Amino acid sequence: MGRLFSLTYPTASVLLAIRGGHRYGFDIMDATGLPDGTAYPILRRLERRAVLTGDWEDEADGKAEQRPQRRYYELTPLGHKSMGDVEARFPMLLPLFESEAS
Amino acid sequence: MIPGAACIGWASRFVPFMRRRAWRREWEAEVAHAWQRLNRNGQPSAWSVLRLRIRIYTCVIDALWERKQTMKMTGPLNDVRHAVRNLLRHRAFTTIAVTTLALGIGANTAVFTLVDGVLISPLAFDDPEQLIAIQHIGHGGPEARQLPMSQGLYNVYREHASTIESIALFAGTTVNLIGDGDAQRIRGQAVTPGCFTVLGVEAAMGRTFLEEEGAPEGERVIILSDGFWRNDLGADPAVLGTSLDINGILRRVVGVMPAEFGHPNQDARLWAPLIVDPARASLANFGADGIARVGPGNSVQSAATEIEGLIGRLPELFPESGAVSFLQEVGLESSVLPLKQSLVGDVTATLWILLGTVGFVLLIACAKVANLLLVRAEGRQRELALRVAVGAGRWQVLRSFLSESVVLAGVGGFLGMVIAGLAVKASLSLVLTAIPRVAEIGVDLRVMSFTAVIALGCAVFFGFFPMLRYGADDLASQLREGGARGATGGKESHRLRNGLVVVQMALALVVLVGSGLMYRSFQALRSVDSGFDTEQILTAHITVPTAEVQDWGEVAGFFRQLSERLEAQPGIESVGFGQSVPLGNGLGYFSIDVEDHPRPEGELPVFARNHQVEVGFIETLGIDVLDGRAFQDGDGAEGARSVLVTESFAQHWWPGQSALGRRMGYEGEDWYNIVGVVADAHYQSLEQTPEEMVYWPATVGPAEDPQPTRGMDVAIKTD
Repeated sequence: MGRLFSLTYPTASVLLAIRGGHRYGFDIMDATGLPDGTAYPILRRLERRAVLTGDWEDEADGKAEQRPQRRYYELTPLGHKSMGDVEARFPMLLPLFESEAS
Repeated sequence: MIPGAACIGWASRFVPFMRRRAWRREWEAEVAHAWQRLNRNGQPSAWSVLRLRIRIYTCVIDALWERKQTMKMTGPLNDVRHAVRNLLRHRAFTTIAVTTLALGIGANTAVFTLVDGVLISPLAFDDPEQLIAIQHIGHGGPEARQLPMSQGLYNVYREHASTIESIALFAGTTVNLIGDGDAQRIRGQAVTPGCFTVLGVEAAMGRTFLEEEGAPEGERVIILSDGFWRNDLGADPAVLGTSLDINGILRRVVGVMPAEFGHPNQDARLWAPLIVDPARASLANFGADGIARVGPGNSVQSAATEIEGLIGRLPELFPESGAVSFLQEVGLESSVLPLKQSLVGDVTATLWILLGTVGFVLLIACAKVANLLLVRAEGRQRELALRVAVGAGRWQVLRSFLSESVVLAGVGGFLGMVIAGLAVKASLSLVLTAIPRVAEIGVDLRVMSFTAVIALGCAVFFGFFPMLRYGADDLASQLREGGARGATGGKESHRLRNGLVVVQMALALVVLVGSGLMYRSFQALRSVDSGFDTEQILTAHITVPTAEVQDWGEVAGFFRQLSERLEAQPGIESVGFGQSVPLGNGLGYFSIDVEDHPRPEGELPVFARNHQVEVGFIETLGIDVLDGRAFQDGDGAEGARSVLVTESFAQHWWPGQSALGRRMGYEGEDWYNIVGVVADAHYQSLEQTPEEMVYWPATVGPAEDPQPTRGMDVAIKTD
């Protein structure tokens, strides 16, 4: 499949983190350990390329925790298709993102 | 207050307006959640607060990234906005440039619309590349003549041509339709039943003809056009099965064709079966047009070769036919062409020349606008210098020129489309019958794409010149050295502009010469002496249907009575009936005998144009009588048996002598006396030399069985 984005180590980390259940921006930063200024540009870029899709969590969830609604990211079907490339190129990252988000 | 959270509000001003709210909401929500987590187990440590603060500060990186991405997309949009503002500030320049371009692009689009509809778009039939027109060429006269098809040859090809899948004949006709109101003359076509199969079209309602309906004893049926069904029959849904009185015969309606159908044009309002009786089909009577569909795996060339071969086999297929000898005498050849080529052949060269001409006009317009832009660019030296000084790159400067070109070309192109639409509509209404496939001419996606492409081409063309002038690497130093007053800059700019003026002049000269030549041709055509009066002459065609009036005497009497009644009307000076008025439907040839020039056995007979006319026809049309007299009462078959000949006919057969008193006949009938010589008249076209012609009285044939013509044109001269 022709790649829509440059598959770098940071990008692979972000994708694996999202697949591993880390859906929110700060959680992705924490899970990947990437420098703080790196994760969001990657998220923006992948969203524009339709590899990720972003949406606001339910209002009820935010109200229950007495905080504003957060924005979460998840893989699109195109994103899921890209994971094959990610796993092939960065197999050492796979074990790091297999746990569910806390 | 979350430490560092104010930075989010400050950084949000870098985020483009449309994204700003969502961006800020996302960061503030994440920060709020992170702060909540930090405080979940009591007072957070200074280190974790510092970490959060640093993370918050990185929102600036995200904000600047958002800004950069949006700038990538909106950069060109900003240039266009800037260009529009600039152009609106200089309205005189913009008006001239846009008008010039609109006219140039509009003219090109209008002509391309004609070219697209007539020459480029395929025929609206199934597999149109498999359709052919079968015509013939005869060499019996001084020049080769194009001949259509005969019923005999149609039968031969149908039976013996293996490369042809199906074949059909069609002939235009005009019929009398008698309905609830007054009788109407309706244009229609007589077609062999397989015609619709050849073209690959089905009826929109009902069916097309069955094979048996083309036989002499077949049922009298008819198919209507969509326009006739809607306009004349009120789109009656129960029209199938009803009967219409066509030429005095009731015909049952069996089908209605789709709205867009028509071949070779959409003049026909109804179709009737063309009866072909194999026992009586003539080989040498070329009275209908032939079309065929080439079979799968065969080509137009292979069909042409086979048909030519069949013509060579005619003596073998018809060993006792005199017509075959005649066809051999005239050297009959076939002429097989793709159907589209046969339809548009006459106008192909004209349309391409026209497109080339308006292309020149557009080039002139582009050169003009390029010159205007160059002059304007000279006046923008200060603005450009300032932009370069604050760091604008060469490409950014050039982009500003290109943006103006694109805006001018875009607006010019849009207005050009509007002009083209109006021009095409107006021109089609003026020359409806002169252009083939006129129903298929219209603005479609291809025409719009053409307009977009030439508009873009124009933008590149006249945007190129300012880029040429200011596109050098040392742009800044060029501007520092000054524009119009600087020696180097002034000379280069003048050279460019002078070059554009030279190009404009050269192209304009070519267009002018071409226009002059066309005008001369037009003037030459207008100055041709037609040989007949054209002022205050009304014409019409009348056919006496066989079903209504069968007796020949009554037919002859009908036209005489009508002539007398018309002449009695106030305002009418004279009336004349004839087979065809000049430049009308055309006249036929038949072989004649000239008494003092007998043809030996085996020699080609004498062919001449023949025209049956009533008393008063020559005088009504103002055709000069050069010797003797015109027709008078009593000149017909049952009377004095007189004929008139044209000047060219007389000079051909009796050079330097009088033709009066000579005798001629046709088909072995009694002799007719030449009582007058009249001037030649242009019956076929003003461009062609008038052919030799014989005027016969309206009623010819043996004295005991006179045969008047049933269909006549009437010419009425008014005061």
